[in-house]
Amino acid sequence: METRMEEDDSASELLRDRFRLSTISIAEAEANKSGMEISEPVMTCVADLAFKFTTEQLAKDLELFAQHAGRKSVNTEDVILTAHRNEHLAAILTSICNDLKAKEPQSERKRKKAPKKDDRDRGAVHIAEA
Amino acid sequence: MEETGFHPDLIHAIFKLEWSRRSLEREKNENPDAMDCEVDAGAGTSKKSRPMSANANALKLSSKLVNFSICAEAVQRAATIAEAEGIGRIEPTHLERVLPQLLLDF
Repeated sequence: METRMEEDDSASELLRDRFRLSTISIAEAEANKSGMEISEPVMTCVADLAFKFTTEQLAKDLELFAQHAGRKSVNTEDVILTAHRNEHLAAILTSICNDLKAKEPQSERKRKKAPKKDDRDRGAVHIAEA
Repeated sequence: MEETGFHPDLIHAIFKLEWSRRSLEREKNENPDAMDCEVDAGAGTSKKSRPMSANANALKLSSKLVNFSICAEAVQRAATIAEAEGIGRIEPTHLERVLPQLLLDF
């Protein structure tokens, strides 16, 4: 049991480090956008905050919402629902979601159900585009 | 935004880890009660055998959510405070001042 816990810990630490790297790049980009410098403790704080938010809140919420809907997979609707307390954020997410759906509405759905057909469809799309 | 954002695979890996941990915890908690309600326990084990998954768009969307809600917003709010104080560098004290409202907003 302990070894499993240790494995989990090392895996989560690896993920946390990767997550921290992306957070730092985002934070630096944001700070540059507003023409500010950003000190290192702030970046690590933001990274930890975001990691905790993702694991403790977002993952839990998404799982519970999907379960409540009787699904085994998380949907875009679940993600939008997690942001329902902040209307502005929910609106942004809805528009992003619509953009994503508009980009590839058919291939996304068929990829899971029928991967073979998907390839054919994609080929057809490419030919049509060409 | 696209270049600096989180990779959906990273978010997926984090979700998977968290979900598997939660299902393990649930198993532990439900084992003592399994004798009381056999029907529920049966349904529970079938659920646990197949863990939660997420579709690609949902992962992209949640990576954007974390990106906007925590990272970008925290830095921007702290930058506003720092600007008001006339300092060109965001220090931990600035983050401290915006943190309570940030946690309430998201």
